[in-house]
Amino acid sequence: MSFAFGLLRKLRLLFYLSVLFAGIAAAAAVGLFFVVLEELPKIPHPLSRIIETPPTEIFAADGQRVMVLGGREAVPLSRVSHHFINAVIATEDHRFWDHHGIDKLRTLKALYVTFFEPGKIQGASTITQQLAKNLFFSFERSWLRKFKEMLVAVQIESSYSKEEILEAYVNQIAFGVGAYGIEQAAHIFFGVPAADLTLSEAALLAGLPKSPTRYNPYRHFERARQRQRIVLIRMADVGYVPPEDARTAAQQELVLEPLRSSARSGSYFLDLVIDSLETQYGAQVVYHGGLKVFTTLDPQLQAWAVASVQDGLATLDGELGVLKAEADRRPQGALAAVETRSGAVKAMVGGRDYAETEYNRAVYSQRLPGSGFKPFVYYAAFETENLHPATVAVDRPVRIPVVGARDWEPQNFSRRYRGPMILKRAFTQSVNTIAAQIVEQAGPDAVIQAAQKCGIQSPLSPVYSVALGTSGVSPLEMASAFATFATGGIRHDPFWIQRVEDAYGHVLEERIVSGRKSLNPEITYQVVDMMQAVIENGTGEVIRRLGFRLPAAGKTGTTNDFRDAWFTGFTPTLSCSVWVGFDREDGLRDRNGRGVTGGRGAAPIWADFMKRAFEGEPAREFPVPDNIRFTAVDPRTGKPAGPSDPGAVQVALRPGQTPDGRILGSPALLPPGFDRRQEAP
Amino acid sequence: MNWSEPQDFREWLSRLFSLRVILLAIAVYSLALAELRFDWVEQMLGAYLARTNSHRPQSGAIWEKGKDTLTARKTLEQIVTDRESTQRLARGAETLSEIAEALVPSHGVMVSAAHFRDLYLELPAAVAGDIASPFELLRIQSSGRWERTYFRKFGRSIKIFLLDMENRVLRELTVPPDLLGRLQQRQDFSQGVLEDFPHLKNRIYRAGRFFEALADQPEEIRRSILPAPERILALSRPITRVGVSDEALTGFVDIGLEFESEGKTMVMVLQARDWAVWRLRLDLEAAAPPLPEETEIDTGGTL
Repeated sequence: MSFAFGLLRKLRLLFYLSVLFAGIAAAAAVGLFFVVLEELPKIPHPLSRIIETPPTEIFAADGQRVMVLGGREAVPLSRVSHHFINAVIATEDHRFWDHHGIDKLRTLKALYVTFFEPGKIQGASTITQQLAKNLFFSFERSWLRKFKEMLVAVQIESSYSKEEILEAYVNQIAFGVGAYGIEQAAHIFFGVPAADLTLSEAALLAGLPKSPTRYNPYRHFERARQRQRIVLIRMADVGYVPPEDARTAAQQELVLEPLRSSARSGSYFLDLVIDSLETQYGAQVVYHGGLKVFTTLDPQLQAWAVASVQDGLATLDGELGVLKAEADRRPQGALAAVETRSGAVKAMVGGRDYAETEYNRAVYSQRLPGSGFKPFVYYAAFETENLHPATVAVDRPVRIPVVGARDWEPQNFSRRYRGPMILKRAFTQSVNTIAAQIVEQAGPDAVIQAAQKCGIQSPLSPVYSVALGTSGVSPLEMASAFATFATGGIRHDPFWIQRVEDAYGHVLEERIVSGRKSLNPEITYQVVDMMQAVIENGTGEVIRRLGFRLPAAGKTGTTNDFRDAWFTGFTPTLSCSVWVGFDREDGLRDRNGRGVTGGRGAAPIWADFMKRAFEGEPAREFPVPDNIRFTAVDPRTGKPAGPSDPGAVQVALRPGQTPDGRILGSPALLPPGFDRRQEAP
Repeated sequence: MNWSEPQDFREWLSRLFSLRVILLAIAVYSLALAELRFDWVEQMLGAYLARTNSHRPQSGAIWEKGKDTLTARKTLEQIVTDRESTQRLARGAETLSEIAEALVPSHGVMVSAAHFRDLYLELPAAVAGDIASPFELLRIQSSGRWERTYFRKFGRSIKIFLLDMENRVLRELTVPPDLLGRLQQRQDFSQGVLEDFPHLKNRIYRAGRFFEALADQPEEIRRSILPAPERILALSRPITRVGVSDEALTGFVDIGLEFESEGKTMVMVLQARDWAVWRLRLDLEAAAPPLPEETEIDTGGTL
């Protein structure tokens, strides 16, 4: 009996303690409520305000929308598949229609698990609580944050209908891969509007918000399908679908929409556009202002540029013996394509894979252009020294004294010297010693001026070696500068934004396409003619071997130890520069230790891209200025040759220029045995 | 009431199941059940919170985003307002100098090709010719590609871009500061007499004498002084006196023509080439010096 009494006493004590604890808890809750009341956020009205941020849209030149920044593609609940709504409710909060913001039973269960099952944490957030958290709170985990979240959820339930809450919820869920809201997710994952989602598709999407990265179907398809099956089982358990329908849906094949290649492939270009917009308007306007940005991007050219760079680099990987897994040992590449008559950037590739590295080498890298700089050297010499393509120079060892430094002794790529030859031949064969003699005569400042007149803006050192491209430039600069040659000397600055409007169509800025006459058209043509010869029978003849047949001009470039391989060339309408090399200071050498030149590494990419870009296009010749006349000369003596002379070279001459065998340089520099008077009377 | 511990089991039971305890238990149970069933606590809390909503801070991610959106909108509105007000001024401009005055360094204005042509035709021929040759404009107009004209301020100069549909520049014209000054000085018809213009009052000639001397000049000089005599002829009013400025501005000298119109004396100011004016002045002053200021107006000279 005394035992029973003791038990009753203990029970009584427990009861009173429980009452006391409940009282204290209730008092604490009320106190806490009034403490946090001031900190609770105001809830907007209407709740749909959350989806009113207008997106900034970026369009390609053909009007195709290639990117959306900020904003949400919201849809009313009536335009969302009921399968998706059921799937979300079954998975996230099956008592959604019954509770008032808080699922008390689930909360108690979660508390029990959290307190009494060590190592386990169970969530009990209702859809309304999740909405409150996403709209107003950080993702910091704390009891206080949870308490505030519950209060806001309760207020939301008191202020809005269940349908309004659900609509707001489905329009702001993050599904991963940049998809926010069900409409955008349905389009990205399945290429359909949210209204047309099937049970199988809806169940897959409803499973993603739990962990968009972990269940990303593009990376972990099987894991995402497993999650989809769980969602379907939940739907069947709750009674939203018959079990047999759930089973059928779980077995249905799911075909994911490919991630939009144009947006991905144009990511380097789009980064550049966004950078420019942020500089002009500030990040706040760019991400929240709902701009409409019309760019110069040609999506088709862009896709081809990406394909050409990736194919070219894959071939190069093979030649270098680099495995795909060795990501950091693989060479990089960049391409920039510019419309010659306007400067509009039509395509841009800043690296082999944007997902691997977002650094845009087409714009921001400063790589040495090597012989790719020679067109500026020859232009400067033709302009300031009245040299011409038939002027004779001697390929020989050269030593140029440099004040305060070691003498400069440039070497030819082949390490051989071929004696006298006309400048056109020296250019097409990319003879360094002759370029050095030219810059010695014309002076580095003249070369720098010529490059700057064409649009090179990177700092150039006023040293003799500038002739061999020893100052860094970017592929975009090179493409744009060579475009000045393509237009007969009219320079257009490169641009990538055509027009910017606000959300209501008011024009904020529009590009005026203005060209400046920078170069002498006749001298320019002489250089272009020589650049055409580079492709026909010079260091860039691989272009023809690879099947690009349209009139084109260009120049290869390779730097010391094969660190950079370039090809920059143009047709009358499109100028394109390709760079290949390692980000680190390594040279491009194949398995046999042979170096990769511009003609071998970059020119094939250029040829591949231009073949795709100009497929079916008619041949357009470079316009010849009126005063230019063509003469056949002997490539060694520079003197007129008969049309039937084997090996005769056609050169373009300006008025007053004659193929008289004039020799470049002072007699003191001539090699022994080469008598100037005999060879060039 | 004295409280004592129950002494036996029966008393425990009788106390436990007393009416008061049962009623209390039922009340508590009913409240709990009602809360589970009807969520009355949440309802009350929710209603209270909804009522106090307007007093709470606009804090949290969605409000921050809303503020960003609001600021972005305001910034854009400001940009658009600025641009549109300049654009409105330009579109309503009746003279080129009105456009020049409306321009700000941050952005340019766009008008139609036709509007620019109208403004160009309103200019004195000497000024118009210095901005662009009418033959050059004719050539561009006849190409059929000239659609719009864009004005932009560059330092103290103005650039005028004649554009095609794709905003490609067909011709770029520069209006340097001195030419801009001449544009803004231009006052074709002002009420008053020549003496009201300090730079014209020192050399005032009878109109007859002036035009006789002009008629004696070679065609080149005549055209350099009055490039568009039709405009003066179109006045259909007798010119009474002509004032010639002593000052040359960037190769031009102001000439004032005084005439009567509807009972009022008006002055029309034109710009003439300085070298041509010097030549004419030699002839004018060789024949007769300028009129002294107190000379009565001779209304005999007509055109």
